[in-house]
Amino acid sequence: MYYIDLAVTGISFGCMYAVMSVGLTLVYGLLRILHVAHAAVFALGAYVTVLVANASGSIALGFLASIAVTPLFGMAIYRLLYEPLLKYRPDVPMIASVGLLVLMQDAFRILFGEQGVTFHRNAFSFTTFNFAGITVSAIQVAIVVTAAVVFTGLHLFTTRTRIGVGWRATVSKPQIAASFGVDPIKVRYLNFAIGSALAAVAGGLVALLNNLVDPTIGFVVSYKALAIIVLGGLGSVRGTLVASLVLGLVESYGTIFIGAWLDRDAIAFLALILLLMIRPQGFTGARAA
Amino acid sequence: MSAALQLDDLAVRFGGVQAVAGVSFAVDEGDFVGLIGPNGAGKTTLIKIVAGLQRPDRGRVTLGGVDVTGDATAARVRRGLSLTHQIVRPFRAMTVLDNVVLGAGIGRTANPFRAMLHVERRRESERAAEILGRVGLAGTERKLAGSLPLGQMKRLELARALAVEPDVILLDEPLAGLNQTEASRQVETISDVHKGGITVILIEHNLEEVMRICRRLIVLNNGLVIGDGEPRQVMADPAVHEAYVGSGMATHAQA
Amino acid sequence: MSAYEVSIISIVGINVILAVSLNMISGFCGQVSLGHGAFFGAGAYAAALAMVATASVPLALVAALVTGSLLGIVVGFASLRVRSDFLAVTTIGVNFLFTGFVRKQAWLGGEMGISGIPATGLGASGNMIMILLFAALTIALSFHVSRSWMGFAFRAVGEDEGAAATLGINAGAYKLAAFGIGTALAGLAGGLYTFFTQFITADAFDFIFSVMLMAMVVIGGIGSTAGVVVAAIGLTLLPEAIRFVNNYRLLVYGGLLVLVIRLAPGGLAALARSVVIRVRGT
Repeated sequence: MYYIDLAVTGISFGCMYAVMSVGLTLVYGLLRILHVAHAAVFALGAYVTVLVANASGSIALGFLASIAVTPLFGMAIYRLLYEPLLKYRPDVPMIASVGLLVLMQDAFRILFGEQGVTFHRNAFSFTTFNFAGITVSAIQVAIVVTAAVVFTGLHLFTTRTRIGVGWRATVSKPQIAASFGVDPIKVRYLNFAIGSALAAVAGGLVALLNNLVDPTIGFVVSYKALAIIVLGGLGSVRGTLVASLVLGLVESYGTIFIGAWLDRDAIAFLALILLLMIRPQGFTGARAA
Repeated sequence: MSAALQLDDLAVRFGGVQAVAGVSFAVDEGDFVGLIGPNGAGKTTLIKIVAGLQRPDRGRVTLGGVDVTGDATAARVRRGLSLTHQIVRPFRAMTVLDNVVLGAGIGRTANPFRAMLHVERRRESERAAEILGRVGLAGTERKLAGSLPLGQMKRLELARALAVEPDVILLDEPLAGLNQTEASRQVETISDVHKGGITVILIEHNLEEVMRICRRLIVLNNGLVIGDGEPRQVMADPAVHEAYVGSGMATHAQA
Repeated sequence: MSAYEVSIISIVGINVILAVSLNMISGFCGQVSLGHGAFFGAGAYAAALAMVATASVPLALVAALVTGSLLGIVVGFASLRVRSDFLAVTTIGVNFLFTGFVRKQAWLGGEMGISGIPATGLGASGNMIMILLFAALTIALSFHVSRSWMGFAFRAVGEDEGAAATLGINAGAYKLAAFGIGTALAGLAGGLYTFFTQFITADAFDFIFSVMLMAMVVIGGIGSTAGVVVAAIGLTLLPEAIRFVNNYRLLVYGGLLVLVIRLAPGGLAALARSVVIRVRGT
């Protein structure tokens, strides 16, 4: 039973990582930039969800607010920070992104306090379901369901709608955007908007899960997301999903075996480095969404 | 006496395509070879194999009697090979002179720690200035390499390739992108380089110029050699004609 | 000189060594390293163990330098296999692996770190002078490397490895050399830090600290020894000079990093150069 509990935890974390990391892999696929500040977007989403939910009494409103706000923030990062830096080698915007993350993190600490913020009323935190003897919390279910909806939705969007197909093609091969009648600049904004909104959702879910948002929340996930997108194949949405689930499970089970040697959080990086040494080009390697 | 460059049964396949399908030939010291063929014939891939930028599935590359098939590019350069790129790659942040000085300093940079011990550059700077004069770039020494127009960049590319004092030099489309005057000028310089005793292998689409200066023409199609010999004879060969006409390219060699 | 001043100058000296050594890897040779803290930490822990065991300063310094360098060369080998954008992520990973590993090892003090490390016997002022001497040596070495053929080759490798290869330059060997030297110096700084604090925990060597070091390099001007020295001194003193900055340290570092890259990517060095050009009227 214990092992199944670990699987449940692993899968739900994996789903959360996946939803958060999609934005990161899309930006890399399009611009070759490691958008480390994506974690700040994630954190912002978490904060907004909690604060609006507390102010309005409705968690749903909290989520809506964060989905409305974070795309603007994400697109602003592109416009103000990355776009002017595209002419330099990709390391340059990446370092700027790291600087932004560090700045934002400290800003959150200064604005909202070192201890963080919590939901006044979290109706879900103690709700659990019981499936054949396995206890699953409502939030874990919500996370998995959200991930399923998101990835199915993305898949349908990029294969069934005209805009979606054009978007997918552009992310894979930016230079052919024109022949699809798609404006490559709009695609960039779309990428940042969608990726940021998803990060906000992931952030809100983590806030519900832990019933706490503190300044380091983005930080912890950020480097894991980096590891995930590299392992999943930069630019590949499917690869991101696979790598996220694998990481979630490896972390869950890994702490049993490696926990004596290594921090849980470092496991992600150990996996990353080992796998990069074996396959320097990343896991799936394919750039198709 | 061994050939300056010898290729034995080189082949490579990627992306489901047999890019090079078993190429063998020998280039003697002092030869001036033009390597031509329609687009997709495998010329660039072959050159990459010779330069060490692409690993072959089978076959051997021998440079001056030494098997270099397993060697990295830098090692081959130290054995006497030199190359220019089709799309020029100068060190844009360095001056024109420094680009060439670095090449002239090949003896200094063999080993990082020995390189750390040496600061003096007088000899290499003098050689570099002289080479820049030879390729027609005198006066541009202090300019940043990134600021040069294409024609001059191509000459810088050649100057750099000469600075390492090669025995064999591979020129990948040195005339591409140049106008008529620049191209003629470049051809003259290449001809002078050859007269200086360096073995030259030239890939070019500009058949007129190639025919003028090369002493030997090797024609590639579909990864195989389909013609090898004196330029006029090779171009008159129906198989070669077919390869070009078949791909929609006219030849000037009917005269 | 008050105890406070001695302490500040010591920290400045250590940060200068760290920033200049990072500049050799990332600035001269163009290899982005966002995990420099790990090599600093490796040296610090090695020195701590050596001091606890033998109280021998020379041994501790050598242990620090060698340990930093060995870890650095391992990472250097990784840099040969991995694409440049992955290198940054790999170095971040190395930093996290280092802190994650150290925090769990009882023999390294675990979360509590190593305390009660024997003093060097030189006193605080003596330590400070030792630090300043090594800082001066590091700066001199950096200037020398920059002017030498090694620096010349580094710049070529940093800009375009493939083109460097066509000039016979073995990029791999140079990258290893850059990592080896840069991380040896970082390890050395770690040993000096251990002498200074006599108490170390993994927190001092984390990713955030590595980011701060990179900020010093970027703000000073990537590739410029003088610029990086000025930035290291300035950024270390800033929280001391402007008291309230201490509470906003990361905000300031992060903000400056973003602003400099965005508005003045060449850092202080480039700004200084353009001022000189304008003054000369060229």
